[in-house]
Amino acid sequence: MKHETIEKSIPLMAILTFVVVLIGGIVEIVPLFYIESTIEKVEGMRPYTPLELRGQDIYIREGCYNCHSQMIRPFRDEQERYGHYSLAAESMYDHPFQWGSKRTGPDLARVGGKYSNLWHQAHMKNPRDMVPESVMPAYPWLVENDLEYGNITKRMEVLQLVGVPYSKEQIENAVADLKAQAIPDSDSDALLARYGEKVTLQNFDGEPARITELDAIVAYLQVLGTMVDFSSYQAQAR
Amino acid sequence: MADEKEVETTGHQWDDEEGYPLKEYNNPLPKWWLYSYYATIVYAVVYWVLYPAWPIPGGEFTKGVLGWSQYKQLDEEMAAGVAARKPFNDKLAALTTAEITKDSQLLQYAVSAGKAIFGDNCAPCHGSGGVGSRAGGFPTLVDDDWLYGGTVEQISETIHGGRAGQMPAHLDSANGSFTAAQVDDLAQYTLSLSGSSTDSAAVGRGDALYHGDAGCNYCHGDSGKGALLGSAGGEKLDASIGAPNLTDGIWLYGGDAKTVRTSIANGRNGKMPAWATDTEGTNRKLDELEIKQLSIYVHTLGGGK
Repeated sequence: MKHETIEKSIPLMAILTFVVVLIGGIVEIVPLFYIESTIEKVEGMRPYTPLELRGQDIYIREGCYNCHSQMIRPFRDEQERYGHYSLAAESMYDHPFQWGSKRTGPDLARVGGKYSNLWHQAHMKNPRDMVPESVMPAYPWLVENDLEYGNITKRMEVLQLVGVPYSKEQIENAVADLKAQAIPDSDSDALLARYGEKVTLQNFDGEPARITELDAIVAYLQVLGTMVDFSSYQAQAR
Repeated sequence: MADEKEVETTGHQWDDEEGYPLKEYNNPLPKWWLYSYYATIVYAVVYWVLYPAWPIPGGEFTKGVLGWSQYKQLDEEMAAGVAARKPFNDKLAALTTAEITKDSQLLQYAVSAGKAIFGDNCAPCHGSGGVGSRAGGFPTLVDDDWLYGGTVEQISETIHGGRAGQMPAHLDSANGSFTAAQVDDLAQYTLSLSGSSTDSAAVGRGDALYHGDAGCNYCHGDSGKGALLGSAGGEKLDASIGAPNLTDGIWLYGGDAKTVRTSIANGRNGKMPAWATDTEGTNRKLDELEIKQLSIYVHTLGGGK
């Protein structure tokens, strides 16, 4: 068919345009209905605790994602340095996800537990104190600012709307859980019952009496990449 | 415009008044472009056949006749790395650390491997080459002052299971049970152990607290020599407590009056992460051989006992 034929007939051109757009639409939209099937079935994934959730908010607020990715790619050099490659399941409760390919700083997908809280405290205050060649900016205000968590319940409700499986109980007790995780030696049985025994309860910011923004972001960093039980994942590897 | 090459037009023409007619050309697409375009289509079809491509409802996808996958490739590359290191690693695994230290070639291999592992995993806290950090709390590994012991076995134990500092908070507002004045006295006594106190009356009161209500001597020893060297009530202390020697003038967090007071007031929970594969925490773990190489490397840094 000559293009002249198409160009001189508006109905024919409209029909053919529709067909082309339709193909593009199907290719882009249909896979979204099967996206669930691309998420691996793994043991151990849970939604973030209220404190970790606020930590992620601060991570985003401070623009950490501009230099740090959270996505270990399945290459030997990355696996030898960072650990097991990231699974889709590991970011299924992230809104927004923190994948990326631009790394001015190292990947943080498995930074959880790699460094101590004290390291994070000193490093946030002045990265050069810990790593002399670092180009990371200092974030000294994190330990000075008291954490705002007045709207934590609302935040969790919104996340629940987009599919994060927070239970009614978890949302109702958000503030209590946040305090229980941030303040050392507080009664944390209820928090552990709701989020699992693996939740870390520590003095994240070195300020036992206060709940600071540093508490939240260190709690968040310390849980990254630690949730999935890889001993059970290997068994069903593809 | 008679000398202009005749080009096919669509036959429509606008605006001829000035002698510059506006025509719609109907040039064919350049051949090189058109055939390149067809080639990309052929390429895509061949790719779909050879490699994983199309999703199939139900969570599956077309696997491609080559059977390639990025995970398979990763496994092969990881296996190639393991195979390349195998001859040395087998020898290292079979020998004790003492035997490895005697074989200069093996020692060199172990130290090089240990150095790479150290750079990836330990240097962020202990500094490049183990010199410690400018921020307090991260021990230098190049001197001979150790909290948990500096033999290869003790270093290996520390890397395996990690260490957790257990200095409790003492100030009442930080969940401790002593007043600010008492904490000041304890700080002065602590400083006096290395000869840098400034208030002898406070030292006396701090002494009483140290050996009395505060019970500092149960970890730091009666004479403040620390868990590794000291004793309390005539009994040698358990080195795994890790309480530092307060008499040697070497400070983990800083030896000025303010920092010492902060340590006593708020406590210190310095934490060396556990690296053995059977421990909790990070997924980046070190296997037995890596820990062996790392222990040998750290031991050679200068402070090994």
